[in-house]
Amino acid sequence: MNAALGVEALKLYRAPAARVATAVLVLVLPAVSAAMVAVARSGSDSPLAAKARPMLIGTGWDAYLGMLAEIVSVAMLLAVGIVLSWVVGREFAEGTVGALLALPTSPRQVLRAKLVVTLVWALGCGLVAAVVAIPGGLAIGLGAPDAGALRATGRLLVVAVLMTLLALPLAWVATVLRGYLSGISTLLGIVVITQIVTAAGAGGWFPYAAPSLWAGMGGADAAAAITPVQLLLAVPVGLVGAWAAAHRWQTAELV
Amino acid sequence: MTPTPVVRLRATGVARAFGTEQALAGVDLDLHAGEVHALVGLNGAGKTTLMRLALGMLRPDTGTVRVDVGNGPVDPVGAPSATWRHVGHLIETPFTYPELTVRETVRSAARLRGLDRAAATAATSQVLAELALDHWAERRARTLSLGNRQRVGLACAVVHDPQVMVLDEPSNALDPAGVVRVRRRLADAAHRGAAVLVSSHHLDEMARVAHRITVLHRGRVLGTLDPAGADLERQFFDMVYEEEDAVADAPTARETAPTSPRSAA
Repeated sequence: MNAALGVEALKLYRAPAARVATAVLVLVLPAVSAAMVAVARSGSDSPLAAKARPMLIGTGWDAYLGMLAEIVSVAMLLAVGIVLSWVVGREFAEGTVGALLALPTSPRQVLRAKLVVTLVWALGCGLVAAVVAIPGGLAIGLGAPDAGALRATGRLLVVAVLMTLLALPLAWVATVLRGYLSGISTLLGIVVITQIVTAAGAGGWFPYAAPSLWAGMGGADAAAAITPVQLLLAVPVGLVGAWAAAHRWQTAELV
Repeated sequence: MTPTPVVRLRATGVARAFGTEQALAGVDLDLHAGEVHALVGLNGAGKTTLMRLALGMLRPDTGTVRVDVGNGPVDPVGAPSATWRHVGHLIETPFTYPELTVRETVRSAARLRGLDRAAATAATSQVLAELALDHWAERRARTLSLGNRQRVGLACAVVHDPQVMVLDEPSNALDPAGVVRVRRRLADAAHRGAAVLVSSHHLDEMARVAHRITVLHRGRVLGTLDPAGADLERQFFDMVYEEEDAVADAPTARETAPTSPRSAA
């Protein structure tokens, strides 16, 4: 599988879609969070400040990194979902899937390499975003990071991991529907359904909504109501999606 | 006494349908070590389907396919890595990615075909030289012409010096110089003992490189052509029209088709 990992890593490293997504996750998100917190703390009565204040839970670093976690909970699913759909679905859209068959490297190994490379990239982006957030917090005058910052960073990373796992079933969708656009359109459908389920009050048990609610998207009370079991539903969803994709690559007629 | 040929690939009574379309209807085919075996036929004859069955990418509805790279015959569906290590293929879309350079592409193909890093690097340089791709080695694949992408695909298929090659129209979109290089590469491979199954529409080209030519039409083997024979094109169309007449209720096929193979070409 090492050969497949190297090949897929090179393809992802060179991919414009992954580069744009990386820039958004590690630069744009911390910058937007810092700007939102700065506006909310400014005492301004602008419409933006009025909208930003309810999104903050707590104060200082806790509030700032909490807002970043809220944004990451949506952006990570979108970014990883789009990149993973492309990584898998491009082989069908570009017709190269046949060239990946009848090799000593099995189709399952190729698909696993795609998943591993995308996972490592996504989690790396989450870590770097957390690091980049530190100078952002210093720049808006939050002072030296405190214990709340450490706790909030942990929450941010957990949210990043869960949302990354939740993107994995899109590899199966892109395989079954033979293209990346089908994966991306499914992703948009998931986002819409998540909004509807959350608005209906059932978000805690909907795996794609629970991490966002826990991060604070629905307010402090909704965040406190999320249980570890509800959060961990992302794990079986991700694992089943990954297994289903790998199984299909190994057993189905892909050409 | 002629030595018994070593069978590298054998299809026996292979049939495959896609919905109501019968792509293959009971095909028998052998591929021997040290030979270039050409498959010729019109579009939709079943050449690509047969090759995909030979590589385990598709499963036959009936019949069997076996590949033997020296470890005994195995079903290509689910064949072990040790088998695929000695098989190279180019079926329709070549292994090219627009964001990778030509050298990276071929080296990636070599790695996926089981070569370690050092061997992959050396084999890549060698095959790029053999197929005159050095000039483009550091260029991204997206900048290549269609013909050069095809040549890169062929380089990927043969970089690991396989014992069995399955190549679907490898000279497609190539310029005359490229066609000659590919022809030479296939002849050299067969001379070294490789078994090469190659499809093409171009009878002249096949006559120059193939040891055997099998005619496929409507998913059936109509017969074989002697590569050294005279006017292969006429023989080919005679076979095809005879089959068309046999399956048609009325002889409309001959009435609407060109009466001379020359005029049909």
